[in-house]
Amino acid sequence: MSPLVRTLIHRLAASLVVLAGVSMLMFVVARVIPGDPARIALGPNATEAQVEALRRERHLDQPIPVQYWEYVREVARGNLGNSLYSNRPVRQDIAQYLPATLELIFAAAAMIVLIGIPVGVLSARYRRRLGDHLGRVGSIVGVSTPAFVWGVILQLVFAYFWRLFPIEGRLAASLPPPPPITGFFVIDSVLAGDGKTLIDSLHHLALPALALAMAGIGQTARLTRASMVETYRKPFIEMAHAYGFREARISNRYAFRPALVPVLTILGLDIAALLGNAFLVESVFGWPGLSRYGVEVILHKDLDAIVGTVLIIAAAFLVANIAVDLLVAVVNPRIRFAGGRA
Amino acid sequence: MALYRTLLSRAALATFLVHATPLYAETVFRLDASAPGEADPDKGIDYIGSVLAFNLYDALVVPGQNGTPVAPHIATGWKIDGNDYVFTLRPDIKFHSGHVMTADDVVFSFKRLMALGKGNSPLFADRVASVTAVDPQTVKFTLTGPYAPFLGALVRLPVLDSIFLLAHKADGKFGDMGDYGEAYLSGHDAGSGAYMLVSHVPESETNLAKFDGYFLGVPSSAPDKVRIRYGLQPATVRELVASGQQDMTSQWLPPEVMRALAGRSDTHLLADRGSNILFLHMNTQKPPLDDLNCRLALTYAFDYATAIKLAQVTDKVSAASPASGPIGRSEFGFNASLPLFGQDIGKAKDYLAKCKYKTPDEREIDITWITEVPAEEKIALLMKANFDQLGFQTTIKGAPWTLYTQQVTKVDSTPSLSEVYIDAPTPDPDSILYNMYSSKSPPTWESASHLVDPEADKLLDAGRAETDIAKRKAIYEQLDARLDAVAPAIFASEVSGVFVGLNTFRLPPFEDDSKRFSAEEYGLQFRLVEMLK
Repeated sequence: MSPLVRTLIHRLAASLVVLAGVSMLMFVVARVIPGDPARIALGPNATEAQVEALRRERHLDQPIPVQYWEYVREVARGNLGNSLYSNRPVRQDIAQYLPATLELIFAAAAMIVLIGIPVGVLSARYRRRLGDHLGRVGSIVGVSTPAFVWGVILQLVFAYFWRLFPIEGRLAASLPPPPPITGFFVIDSVLAGDGKTLIDSLHHLALPALALAMAGIGQTARLTRASMVETYRKPFIEMAHAYGFREARISNRYAFRPALVPVLTILGLDIAALLGNAFLVESVFGWPGLSRYGVEVILHKDLDAIVGTVLIIAAAFLVANIAVDLLVAVVNPRIRFAGGRA
Repeated sequence: MALYRTLLSRAALATFLVHATPLYAETVFRLDASAPGEADPDKGIDYIGSVLAFNLYDALVVPGQNGTPVAPHIATGWKIDGNDYVFTLRPDIKFHSGHVMTADDVVFSFKRLMALGKGNSPLFADRVASVTAVDPQTVKFTLTGPYAPFLGALVRLPVLDSIFLLAHKADGKFGDMGDYGEAYLSGHDAGSGAYMLVSHVPESETNLAKFDGYFLGVPSSAPDKVRIRYGLQPATVRELVASGQQDMTSQWLPPEVMRALAGRSDTHLLADRGSNILFLHMNTQKPPLDDLNCRLALTYAFDYATAIKLAQVTDKVSAASPASGPIGRSEFGFNASLPLFGQDIGKAKDYLAKCKYKTPDEREIDITWITEVPAEEKIALLMKANFDQLGFQTTIKGAPWTLYTQQVTKVDSTPSLSEVYIDAPTPDPDSILYNMYSSKSPPTWESASHLVDPEADKLLDAGRAETDIAKRKAIYEQLDARLDAVAPAIFASEVSGVFVGLNTFRLPPFEDDSKRFSAEEYGLQFRLVEMLK
């Protein structure tokens, strides 16, 4: 078995332990915060008998360990329970809202990679020149301004004043959503061959994704620059200069790849953190994603939905980290051959 | 050349079609609200859930106008014989599916509401012994005992298309009824209302379309479609309205956003004046407020005018107006002879002098406000300023709603004073006052004053037993006065839901006092919206 596969198996096993811990923690926390979920679900005017009946139906009258055991048994069957709030299976709710959030996060991640890394590379290559200074100021502003503030600023400037982008939503009201295949409007409209919906969904996606990506772009640009500058000081770069290689070749081929390892590691954490920031951006842009759903179910003390949502977010976080670790291993042979321990 | 010819001919055809199309633009009424969760009318009890139910479904009776508690709707009339209520139905009502509504649908709807045990079912719990379809146009309810508020409660019994819904039932815990169509109705409708549900995505949006077969007809000026968005941030709503992309806001906007939008020349304000009262409940079983004189001292010390100013939306419009008791002015049983409350420090001092609690230690009171309603904190601070000035030692504490509802079910854990906005779920004052002030009623979130007053109990019971409208009105007028006298709460103000609307539409029930309904939410009927362009 190759060291890489061994690492992957270890990581997946550790992830299952983490998920079990998260589910246990959330299960308990959701039940000990003040408020009777049955009473909240039925409303303040429900009779005590009605509230008691719902408690029995949802096993809320049982001790927490018994409730947890029931829950684990259901999860093992692929059932995340039913939402008291929407009265639908939590799995169905998550399936409805998760693609919107993932689409937003993937778009933001793409922007981080496609804008942040080139800006960092160019800043390092032209360090201490005007472009580098502008890049630094831009990065600091990007990192230090919260995503929801970016959301409001971008919305005000580009959607409200200049009317270049829609203020909110995922698709124009006049357009029907594309036939659901992946739940990602961009991909589904491509699969449906619907150019109009594709353009409109990209149009709606641009501002929220950019707002979400701004901090990541800034951080990635700074980290790429710092890492590249560090690499530029290495003897093999000096040797490349001595051989008279072109600057672009030195930058892109010799300095960039080793500098990418720390960037990728941070990028993984950044992308996972987008899940948390997505709530604020989803709220500003009326984006019907999982983060907004998560907050709503917490406010309604919707037990199964809270645990289900947190589990999915935790799983996404773990998957993102494992993916980045694998990517780093691919980029860095020392890590690949040492089985992830270099 | 052939290609050019084809293009030219298609362009000519397109031009012809554009000109041949009638000048008909579909009207869409766009608004936002807090998310209702489900579209099932037997579950929604919040504002937008009720609005959806009133627009998608019809009930036997509806809230009346100009002081009438209820008016005929599906039922053309009814007879009350002891505990029997017999309703005659209109024969011409069709559901969205095309099925004709019959008494069987009413029976089915009632049984479903009670079987699910959610939403408005507590209004009927233990009150109805049987419900039967006498013939296709006649339905009989037999009550378990005298319960005059039953008629008002029927406003909250939406009639469902039983044939259609049973065709969409899934497996469930209700025997032959499966899941009673619970899963289906979560995101679809089975009603006869003026609008049909096109799509419903909880947390995101609901889309409705006009139902041309509505038995009362839908005016051509009413919007063809309605789009309700959920969970939008105030800043986003402000931009949408200001850029003409949303017609009406929700009532939950922060005052500064409401003010900014109201100041625009292309907007106007609308108000849903229902039965919402800001109750400052006083715990009548715990010192020092177990002494009536202490309670009356606080009643006169409270600065009502400032409380109303705090709810000011513009210089001229406030979301609050003076109250004279626990029954609002548009409610059945309102006693017009009662004076409006106002601050009178002289009277407050006189009552305080008669209070048996004299030392500062004995005059310690705690005030609780609900943390989900930031406006309540301002009122709590106002109370503290007013009551400290009078000689009380007040402390203020915020509590989340879920915690508050648990606290107030026991006398000892109930704060001395607690702030709650409460509106009656039906046009009948019993639906709010009985739970709140009858000593026979089990303690709930509404009964934070824990009042024990035999005279109030007597009037509350009399109101339940009397079916004659005029006599009931007199009973509730007496009750209104009695509750002012025993002061279980400071009736701080009547509260309206204030909305900002673009000048693209009018909504008479929210703008013209003569067209207001006796229950909140019922005025937001989309068929009554008049689109101006």
